[in-house]
Amino acid sequence: MASESPSSVRKVVVHLRATGDAPILKQAKFKIPGTDKFAKVIDFLRRQLHRETLFVYVNSAFSPNPDEAVIDLYNNIASLICVCLVAFLVIQNFGIDGKLVVNYACSMAWG
Amino acid sequence: MTNAQEYVWEGAIPLHIHLHESEVTTLPPPPPALVLAPRIGYLPLLISIVKPHFSSTLPPGVDTIWFEYKGLPLKWNIPTGVLFDLLCVEPQRPWNLIVHFRGYPSNILLPCEGEDGVKWSFINSLKEAAYIINGNCKNIMNMSQTDQTELWRSVLNNNLEAYRRVSSKLKLGTFEDEFVAFIDSNSTKSQQSAGETDVAAQMKTGELFTTTVFLLGRIPVRLYVWTVSEDFDDLEHAPSIDSWDKVSYINRPVEIQKEEGKYFSLKDAIKSLLPEFFPESNLTNARDASSNQSAAERGENSCDPASSRTPLENAEIKLVRIQGIKPKLEIPFSWVVNNLMNPEHFLHICVCLKVSEARTVQ
Repeated sequence: MASESPSSVRKVVVHLRATGDAPILKQAKFKIPGTDKFAKVIDFLRRQLHRETLFVYVNSAFSPNPDEAVIDLYNNIASLICVCLVAFLVIQNFGIDGKLVVNYACSMAWG
Repeated sequence: MTNAQEYVWEGAIPLHIHLHESEVTTLPPPPPALVLAPRIGYLPLLISIVKPHFSSTLPPGVDTIWFEYKGLPLKWNIPTGVLFDLLCVEPQRPWNLIVHFRGYPSNILLPCEGEDGVKWSFINSLKEAAYIINGNCKNIMNMSQTDQTELWRSVLNNNLEAYRRVSSKLKLGTFEDEFVAFIDSNSTKSQQSAGETDVAAQMKTGELFTTTVFLLGRIPVRLYVWTVSEDFDDLEHAPSIDSWDKVSYINRPVEIQKEEGKYFSLKDAIKSLLPEFFPESNLTNARDASSNQSAAERGENSCDPASSRTPLENAEIKLVRIQGIKPKLEIPFSWVVNNLMNPEHFLHICVCLKVSEARTVQ
């Protein structure tokens, strides 16, 4: 929302974790404003992994719409988030401590 | 099966589709295509009708089809009926759209791989909805290929009967009538509705489970909010949405809250979804903020909208549109959910807010 001062924006910690034979990222954790769209997370992974095409899954299960706000996703599932890419990525979020843990791998897991 | 649900499934918007002038190579230009687009459908599903109509006039090259309304590229992953409700404030019939076969605006629209891409998006939304309702989407992950295909075909063909046959296996349920749910949550453990899981979850966290407030279930909602600062008297004078930046896309579950002697109305639901504008009804978010965060996180993020923002006293719900109707805000929210949700189990609500300050939602 336009009206918020930066300090009032709730942040979400995203934790990236390699799965399978995907390369391990140097920066495995980052914090982003909850109002950011999920597309930002995907873009970050794209840049880090140099992959143009990627599929993103939440909680080893569904692929969220990139337009969704990270905080909405976080609150909606409130337990686990996974992300996968073409090469592939899985984020798992243990919602209790406010982190999204991201695993990524090199083969497609969920349709 | 209710009548309202049948109307929703039968609902369609007459489209007048024109080819963008930069892609016209014949003289005279091809006539517009007239298409009846199902409300619960998606624009790329019309390609098989639209493409043959224009194919003879297109310049050589690779076709990537997209649609535009008054300069705004239309997001294909939003159901056609929702696009119409949101963008065509004063309903226009037929709805005049422009089709493009070149120059896909990939900075604005997600890439789309035809029907398969739409199906992918639909199934993933369904999974997301299941996650919100049940806390997992096992039922959808475990669906047989045949059932998944049948479910998708029922949406493609607007076949409500087939849809109900398959979707009943997903155990996403319809939400019980509030009165019944209220009795059940008090008396038995046999309740199979989504309400049960949520009430149980509430008991575990031990918050907000008082004798007066019952949470009967989490309802997946996709909310499209645009704000105006100037009042308008009739819809004809409503400002048009010329950029997606002007629409706030909010995905928050509604937790139906039952207070003794009161039912939970559509207005209650909308206010609970927009704590930024209606801080007084911020029960749901207060709970989220405290239960989802560690103490450390919380200290840093004293961002509970109710506490950190100046209340916006002058926000006013100007217009609400769901499935093409302007429902009265006093109707029970459970009726709205049961009758007006889309087949992927999300309820799509378009809301126009009037705020008196020059504040707008981004």
